[in-house]
This record gives sequence, C-alpha cells and structure tokens, in this order.
Amino acid sequence: MNYIYRFTLLIGLSILGFGSYGQTPEPVVSGSFQGLSLEQFVRQLEAQTPYRFFFDSAAVVGVQITAQAQAQPLSLVLQQALAASELRFAIDEEHNVFITPRQAVPTELPTDYFRPGAVAAARAAENTPAASPPVRAANVARLYEIGRPGAATAGKATLAGHVREAKSGEPVPGASVYVEAPAVGVSTDQFGYYALTLPAGRYTLNIRGIGIKNTRRQVQLHADGKLDVEVEEDITNLKEVVIEAEKDKNVAGMQMGLEKLDIKSIRQVPTAFGETDILRVVLTLPGVKSIGEGSTGLSVRGGATDQNLILFNDATVYNPSHLFGFFSAFNPDVLKTVELYKSGIPARFGGRLSSVLDIATRDGNKKKLSGSGGIGALTSRLTLEGPIIKDKSSFLIGARASYSDWLLRLLSNQELRQSSAGFYDLSAHLSHELNDKNTLYATGYLSQDRFRLASDTSYAYQNRSGSLKWKHIFGNKLYGVLTGTYTNYEYQIASEGNAVTSSELTFGIRQLGAQADFSYFHNAKHTLDFGASTLRYRVQPGKLVPRGGESLVATDELAREQAQESALYVSDKIEVTPRLAVVLGLRYSFYQALGPREVNQYLAGAPRTPSTITDTLRYGAGTSLATYHGPEYRASVKYAVSDNSSVKASYNRTRQYISQLSNTTSLSPTDTWKLSDAYVRPQVGDQVALGYYRNFRHNTIETSVEAYYKRMRDFVDYKSGAKLLLNHHLETDLINAQGKAYGVEFSIRKATGKINGWLNYTYSRSWVRANAGSAAEQINRGEYYPSNFDKPHDVTLAGNYRFSRRFSTSLNFNYSTGRPITLPLARYYVDDVARVFYSDRNAYRVPDYYRVDFAMNIEGGHQAKKLAHSSWTVAIYNLTGRRNPYSVYFRSQGGQIKGYQLSIFGQPIPTVTYNFKF
Amino acid sequence: MPRLHAYLLGLLLWLTLPGCVDPFEPDVISSPPSYLVVSGFINLSGPTTIRLSRTQGVANTAAPAVEAKATVTIRDEAGTSYTLTEQTPGTYTSAALSLNPARKYQVRLRTAAGRDYASALVTPKPAPPIDKITWAVENRGVQLYLSTHDASNVTRYYRWTYTETWEFHSAYRSGLQYVNGRMEPRTEDIFQCWGTAGSITIELNSTARLNQDVVANYPLILLPPSSVKLRFKYSVLVRQYAQTPEEYAYWEQLKSNTESVGGLFDPVPTQLTGNVQCLTDASEPVIGYVGAGSVTEKRIFIASTELPLTQRYETGYNCAAPDTVPLPSVPAVFSSPAVLPLYTVYAPMSNTIVGYSSASTECTDCRRRGTNVRPDFWQ
Repeated sequence: MNYIYRFTLLIGLSILGFGSYGQTPEPVVSGSFQGLSLEQFVRQLEAQTPYRFFFDSAAVVGVQITAQAQAQPLSLVLQQALAASELRFAIDEEHNVFITPRQAVPTELPTDYFRPGAVAAARAAENTPAASPPVRAANVARLYEIGRPGAATAGKATLAGHVREAKSGEPVPGASVYVEAPAVGVSTDQFGYYALTLPAGRYTLNIRGIGIKNTRRQVQLHADGKLDVEVEEDITNLKEVVIEAEKDKNVAGMQMGLEKLDIKSIRQVPTAFGETDILRVVLTLPGVKSIGEGSTGLSVRGGATDQNLILFNDATVYNPSHLFGFFSAFNPDVLKTVELYKSGIPARFGGRLSSVLDIATRDGNKKKLSGSGGIGALTSRLTLEGPIIKDKSSFLIGARASYSDWLLRLLSNQELRQSSAGFYDLSAHLSHELNDKNTLYATGYLSQDRFRLASDTSYAYQNRSGSLKWKHIFGNKLYGVLTGTYTNYEYQIASEGNAVTSSELTFGIRQLGAQADFSYFHNAKHTLDFGASTLRYRVQPGKLVPRGGESLVATDELAREQAQESALYVSDKIEVTPRLAVVLGLRYSFYQALGPREVNQYLAGAPRTPSTITDTLRYGAGTSLATYHGPEYRASVKYAVSDNSSVKASYNRTRQYISQLSNTTSLSPTDTWKLSDAYVRPQVGDQVALGYYRNFRHNTIETSVEAYYKRMRDFVDYKSGAKLLLNHHLETDLINAQGKAYGVEFSIRKATGKINGWLNYTYSRSWVRANAGSAAEQINRGEYYPSNFDKPHDVTLAGNYRFSRRFSTSLNFNYSTGRPITLPLARYYVDDVARVFYSDRNAYRVPDYYRVDFAMNIEGGHQAKKLAHSSWTVAIYNLTGRRNPYSVYFRSQGGQIKGYQLSIFGQPIPTVTYNFKF
Repeated sequence: MPRLHAYLLGLLLWLTLPGCVDPFEPDVISSPPSYLVVSGFINLSGPTTIRLSRTQGVANTAAPAVEAKATVTIRDEAGTSYTLTEQTPGTYTSAALSLNPARKYQVRLRTAAGRDYASALVTPKPAPPIDKITWAVENRGVQLYLSTHDASNVTRYYRWTYTETWEFHSAYRSGLQYVNGRMEPRTEDIFQCWGTAGSITIELNSTARLNQDVVANYPLILLPPSSVKLRFKYSVLVRQYAQTPEEYAYWEQLKSNTESVGGLFDPVPTQLTGNVQCLTDASEPVIGYVGAGSVTEKRIFIASTELPLTQRYETGYNCAAPDTVPLPSVPAVFSSPAVLPLYTVYAPMSNTIVGYSSASTECTDCRRRGTNVRPDFWQ
C-alpha cells in the first residue's frame, strides 16, 4: 500500500515539477490547535487556505499537533506545529503541501535524476520502513537513513543486506561487516548476506574482505532495514594476497579449525605442470596430509581419505581428481572460495568424519560479459560469464580439457607410448534474482577421465553432479535456503587382451538429496541456524560383464544397495558477553539400509567366512535391513582475551554412513564405496580441539596454535589379503577398526606487504587398532599401529615476495616425516624361489619427504580499462630434484630380493602457463 | 622459429621423464627372525616331499638354513599316518603312496628342539590332465600358452610350476686336455651341455568366474627373442596342480606380496603365514601352506629350426678371443684350472708345434652353466 502511495507520489511530483507556473503570496492561518491528530489539523488548514495536503496516513499515526497561530504564514505555522514530531513538509508552486517523516520531499527533481546512481540516492532519501526494498548504498559520503525514527522495539534494530561487487554484481562472501563502537561485526555468508543487530543510532559501517577495497558507509539506524552495499574490486590484487578473508577473523571469528582459501592465493602456489590446483594448496594447510605426491586423497587430522565431505556448490563429489590423483578436478577459473573445516564443524554439515571441504563457485558477472582462460602444458581452460538479465541473473560456464596424449606419444617407453590419457571437466552455474526476496541458483558439474594402458586395460570414470538452490528472505531476521542435489559417480575398467577373457567391470554410486537450511538472527545475542536434510543413496557395487562374442566371462553382478540418510539440526550462536561467545549445536542423523537385499547370516561367535554362512535372509524392496541413528554434538566457545588475541575450544561428534573400500596405498579409481549395512557399522568420530590465536602489527601477522584429540570408532579396515572387488560376501573380509589421532598445529601468516605467505608446523600422530574377532582377523595382534597417514612432523612454507605490482615470486617448501610402510623382515624359500616375510603392518617408514617449488608471476599492465588482462606464470616444481619416494617395494628377481623406491616427480619440472581475463 | 620449436620439444621431453625407480636399501633389520618354513604338498599318488627350512635376513644371500632331524608324518582325518624320512638335511620324503582322495590330510612334525607343528586338514584336489601347450612367435618373443579343462567343472583353481631344459654350447670348443703335465686329446665333451631352470614366478589361474571350467591359452612363459634357451633346442615340463580356493588365495597373496607390489595401484603387502600352526606356542609364526592333491605333467620341445630365421640369439658368453700359449709357458698356464687348452697351434706352413690356443674355463667348459649329461628325455 505504502509502496504504491509513494510511487504515485513520485509520478505526481514529476508531472507537477515540470508543469508548475506562477507565484502567489502565501496565505495566513489563525487558530489554536490543541492535541489534534494530523488529519484533524490538516482539515482545519485546508478549510482556511486553498492549499491541498498530501501525506501517508500510516506514517502519521499517533502524531499530536499543538500550535498557536495568529494570522501567521502557513509555512511558519506548519514549522511550529511539526517541530515536536519527526515530520517535515514541503510546499510546491501548485499549492500542494507534502508531509513526510524526517525529510522533506524535494518538490523539484534533482538535476541528475536520470543518471542511474542518483535514483538509488533518491530512493535512499525516502522513508524506508522495514518492508521496503533495500537501499543500494554506493556512496561513502552520504548518510543512509534506515528505518523510521522511533519504530524500533527496545531501541534495537537489525540491519541486513547483501554485499556485492560493483563491477560484476557477484556477492562477496566472507567479508566482514562491522561497526567499531560498539564492537559488533559479522561476516557475510555464502550469498554475501549479512545481518547486524545494533541499538538505534549513527554508525560507520566498515566492510572489509579479500579482493575488495575497504569500504565504509555512514548509516543512521532508526529501525529494521536493509542496506545493500556495492564494493569495488581491488584490481591490483597483488597487494591483497591474503588467505583469510577478514584480517582479524583469526582472532575475532567464532569458527576454529577453519581454513579459507580464495582463488587468488590458490593461484600463487606453484604446482607440477603449472596447473592451478585447489587440492594441492589445501595440502599445504596445517593438519592436511596426503599419502604422497601424485595423490589428492586428503587426510585431515589423521582421518582417512574417505572421511572428507567434498561439496561443490552443495553437491557431493566422490572423486575429486583427474588422472588418478595428479590433478584436482575443479576448474580454478570458476571458483570463488574453498573452505576447509577441520574441527568445530557446523551442525549444518554431516555425513563425513574428518572434515568438510566446501567449494563454492562464483555467481558470474551480472553487469557485462567477460571471460578468462589459460593455456598450460597439459590442459587449457576457458571460462565465460555474463548477465542474462542485467543485475538480475547471470551465467558462468567453465571448461577445461587435457591434451596429454601427444605428450605420451613422445615418450621412449613403448608401453607408455601406446597408452593414452585424457580428461575434461565442465562447470556451469546460473543465478537469478527473482526479486529482492527470492533468488535461484543452479549448478551443474561434469568431469570425465579416461586412461588406457598399452597392456590392453582401459579405465574411465565420471563425476556428475548438480544442485538447485532457492534462497528466500522471509524478513530481516530470517532467511532460508532450499537445496536439491544430485551426484553420480561411476567407473568402468575394460580388459580386452584375450578374446576369451575380455570383460568390463563397472561401479556406480548415485545420490539424491534435499535440504532446507534456515538462519534466524534473533537478536544481537542469538543467531540460530536450523534445518533438515535427507539423502538417498543407490550403489551398484560392482558388475562384471563379458565383452565380445568370444568371451567366456560369466556375468557377475553384486546386488544393488540402497539407503536413506536424514538429519535434523539446530545451532545457536550466543554472544554471552562481548568477549565470550558460544555456539551450541545438535545434529541428529538417522540412517536406514534398505532392501531389496539378501543378507548372509553367520554362525554366532565364529569368524565370518564363507564356510560359516548359516542362512541367507531376503529383504523386500524398501524394507529396512539395518537402522542406525544418533546425535552429533557440535559445540564451540570463543573467549577474546584482548583485542588481538583469543582462545577457542570446540567439541564435535560426526557420523558417517558410507565408507570407501581401498586396498592400495594411494586412492585409486578402482576404489568402491560401501554403504553401512547389517555388518558394516557407521563410523563415529569425536574430536576436541583447543586453540590460541594472536595477531600482531595491526592484524597483519596472524599466529595460532591448535591442539586436537580425536577418536574414531568402526571405521573400515581389511583383513590381510582382503578381496574388495566383486566380493559377494564382503563382510568376511572387512573388520571394524578403531582409530585415534592427536596433534598440535602451529601457524604463522602474513597477509600483506612485500613478503607474505604462511608457515606451518604440525606434530601429529594417527593410530589404528583392529582388535575384534579371532587372532586371524586381528592386525598386529590387536595393538595400535600407525595409520597410513601417520607423519609426525610436517613443515610447510608458502611464501610470496612482491618486487613490484607486476612481478612477484613464490616459493614453496615442504618437509614431512616419511609415511609408514610394511617392510620385508626375512626371506625364505618355497620351491627354490626366495620369498619375503613382511613386518607388522606399518612398522617402518619411507625416507623423509622434502620438496621446494618456485614460481614467478608476471602480470600484464594494470590499466583497469584494458581490453584483456593477461599474466604469465613460470614455475619449477621440485626445484632441487629430490627423488621423494612415492612408493617403496620389494621384488623377487632371479632369486634375489631387491628393494626399490619409485618417485613420481624425480626431476625439477619447469612449466609455463599463460592466463588471460577479459 | 625452428630454434624455439626445438627448445620447446626439449623442455617437454625433460618434463615427461617424471617417474624414476631407484634402489631402496633400508638399514638392515638387525635381528632377522628365524621362523619355520614348511614347503611341499601331500601327493595322493606318489612320494610326498616336504622341505623344512628357516627364514633368514633379507640381505643374507647364503643358502637357506634347513631344519634337520625333525620327525615328519602325513596324517589323515581317520588318524592313519605315513612317515617321511629325511633324505638330505631338511628334505623329508615318503614312500610312493596311494592315498584315498575322499579323506582329508595334514602334515604333522616335531623339530629336533621338540616343538610340535601341524598343518590344517585339507581336502585333496586331483588335477585334470593338461590339454596342450602351444607356442607362438610374437613381437615380444616366443610365448608359450597352456590350455586345460575339467569337464566336471570342479577344479576351478589351478597352479603350475615348470622346469625348462635347453641345449647350449660353450663359446669355444676344447679338443685337448692338460692332465698330469701332458697335453692329450679331450675325452669328455664339454662343449655341448643342457641348462635347466625351475619356475620363478607363481603361475595361477582361476576359472571360477567362467561358465565352464576351461583355461584357454594361459600365457605361461615368455622367452625373449634373443634367449639363449632357443638357440638349439628347448624343452619345458609343466606340472599342473589343482587347488582349493583357500590354497589358491594363499598363493595369489604370496604372488602379489612378492611379485606385483609397488605399482601405483597394487595392494599393500601383508603379513602372510599359511595353514601351518605351532601346537606348542600358538603365537609363533609359521610360514607355508601344505595342500593335498595330485600332479599332472606335460612336456614339449621347441627346436630352433622351427623358429623364423630372423631370431638373433645371445650366447650369454662375453669372451675374449683365444690366446696362444707358447710351449715354454704351457705348464705354468695350464696347471691353473681357470684356463683350458683349445687346439694345437702350428708354425706357418709346417708341422712344428709352437703352442696351444687357450681360453678361460668359464668360456670353454659348458658344465659351468649346466650339465653335459644328455637328459634321458631329450629327443
């Protein structure tokens, strides 16, 4: 109603403004007005003068007029009468009087009315009750008035809105929005949305973030209202090579164990073959390890590689790598941020034990068509983005493809020359703002790999995923996101050497999910997050089919598995005092393994082997064959010791209902995923963490120490010599193991200046114990043994030195203790051939790992208006050429046992990459 | 431009040499364990041979330490036992037995130290005959294939071992021998010999996934094109064993533990023991799997005349040219066992003996690399 009123008013004004003529002397009024409503007062004035009065009756409710006039001019009487209220008036040449709250309506259009920026300014100047469209604030100097005076309850008001980039219209997530006095601040969420609850008053709103210019807005806050802020991109981003989005987030932020990377800092880290690779950069963060180079299987704080939830715009990605793990499967050009939660995992995430890797794409440029790309030694990529409807909707599409085949052709090794390898990935993202309250997002992702060995075996695997999100803002205090996700991962291994045994092995997993997440800003002290989610899994655990007419291979298909995993969660962030904040969260997850399935029954008390199967039970479609559920506690506390130091602690429990089966040291594409069932129990993990954070030199140097202790129950381990593929009674080869891990992580970061980067040291241990069942089922006699990821000492340096705005160099240094291996202890003879007797599992270690990489980044000119921006990266991976053992093995050759170590990148590898942006 | 091209190519070649394999020698494990190793199988029809030895350090290349003076018996589930006697230290052989295939068998033994061991009772599996062994000349060499089947579809798990025998010649033929200070015509041929070698890799195949119990053209042996074994005549005797799934799993594991470990996607090695247990101390690791069954055999020959003429053989000998030993030096040179006389050297255009040509024993006496006794099966 209001809106329409004001709209017609504006139209009316513009007509009046143009068509006004003449000038008559102002009439005089007399009378004693005591306690009249504005309506009554205006009626009296209209009776005495030819003037007509306009006002919004809703805006003047409760206004009492008291004035005395003895033949005084109208404007003087009005001034006197309205002085006590917040109302102002304006009189135009057509004898119209406009009464508006706070600010007088301009009776003539501003001279620059038809310039777009000024419209926003004009709108901002109007009265802005809570339900009105948000103000788009783009001016530092002006004062933005939010809400109607006196409308706020209890003197407090909530200011909310989006922070967007001025040039592209992209939301800016993770930027901190704060006022200095009182010290209240929040960071924008993934949509760039923020909400601040403050006492009414005048504030300077500060907006800071990575890759954006520090921005300030003057705000007069009267009541709940919206303020969208457009910030400018910091084009010369060489200066802002920060890893944390907010300079003092380390200390002031609530979250602990969170690592946040943006694409600009990811690009600086030199990698093999010059491919910008997010997972490689994640591996330089404290507490994150891998088996070795050439493997992107992450072990976060001693957890297994399957315990990481990898989300690409909320859709799960099962195999995040290309070429068996040499590259990560995400096109760097479409990415915005990568967040890794190592502890204190928020309640809205669940389903994996160790960590959440949340990868978000950009929304695409909402203002103009632009693109970027790169040409490297192995791959090239191109990304296009632009508006579909300007400022409302945008698209982003990125593609990357390899051309490694021709490289293989150049090799001297004949077997490799006959091999072929290739991959590509595609990402597409659409966002559409339906209106101020509703926004839709859609993301699609596809990655495809194929690898053919000369030895007639070909591998192929595909990830497909998509997500659809609808964000609805219910009001300043509440918004919700409804998300639907789809994920499909499958692989095929074809063997065609012998016509009689030609076959194809396939595996597939499909996951459909829906979730609803809500954020409710109750008041300055309480922010609530709550929601629900459900996931449907469908696994085809393995299928072997003959290939070609001559093949004698019998079709062998494992029964499909299905399951439903649902969860409810709620968490409350409580600001107890300005120094002390607590987040209390609870997630309750519920899992059912569903039929149709046949479940083997085993002799009670005996080890599970095919010979102890007593019966096979058949479960019908949709019936539950195993149910698991339980609470997952998520709690964290922050205490600010001073302005630049804080202590945080957290405890979280996580439950995981799906496990990866891998019998090899590195992640391999033949690894399959197994749903929990009657025999494979869900994994449960508990972690407590404690950290101390201190910043120096105006938050430019961040230091932190985090310690953690972790316990894992029922994660999957294998009996010696377990058979994982096409096993119809897999439960006979699996054992439920326990694990524990603990460690301390030290980190120093310098975000700005000529020298910047980070240095981490981690001491950590990770242990496994398989002590259930008979002696034959136990590993190392049921004692704790070091897990594959147990590398006690780890030092990482990622440094960057900026010579000028256009030229910088980066240096990477990595050292870690060698990973554990099982060594041959003794030799013996069977049939006159020497064989090897191995030690206890993981009783020894490979030599320590050590690597230095170097890169130079040369940027083109920095003129902001240039048609295309380009940059060159010259990098040398493994500068010292150290041959780090990837794998150590022993082979019986001609009756002699010889040990070998295989290094994958044993020489310095130089690369040149060209990147462009237009 | 051409220079740039060459430079780019060089850069690429450099960058595509990433994988490298180096020897890895960890600090020798100071005190290698000495566990009992039991090898052999219970033969349903014929003598059974069981060998007992001990494990030794990985770097120790000495002959395996044998376990002598043990008492070894075969026992069936009904309690009947058959004694094995020690032939050479550590090797225990039974009389030629004919055991009932319907019973289960085990090996029981007591070491000289008085510790008792027993293998698990196993169901014997008789082996079907080998259908054929064929061969083909391929790019990579001469490939031998094995085919077999079991019409009753019960065998399913196969293991093969083989013994290769080949004729070869030493680098130089010696017509003389120096005995007791006198040069005389050689009495024994040390030029033509036969070499022999057993299988080194574990050869297994399973037809459990096939509709029929048929092994078709299993690639058993690959002889490189230049192999000395093919120079004159080659023969191989293949023995076929049938196995239970458990025994097959053990051998498969043993194979993957020692033959295919270390590839990027190979499984991690595991501690593998077998089906023998120490009865005195259950925690003592014992190595070995004792199965039961019968063996079938097949032999084939490949003569070099059957092969394409393009084959180029390596003799395996890398010898210096023969050297003439003048007469005065003869006693000093030929009294050494390292040098052998080849033939008499005369002065030009005369019958005067000036000396004897010589070559190292290694290059002359083929018995260093085999036997000059013609095998009785040799055709």
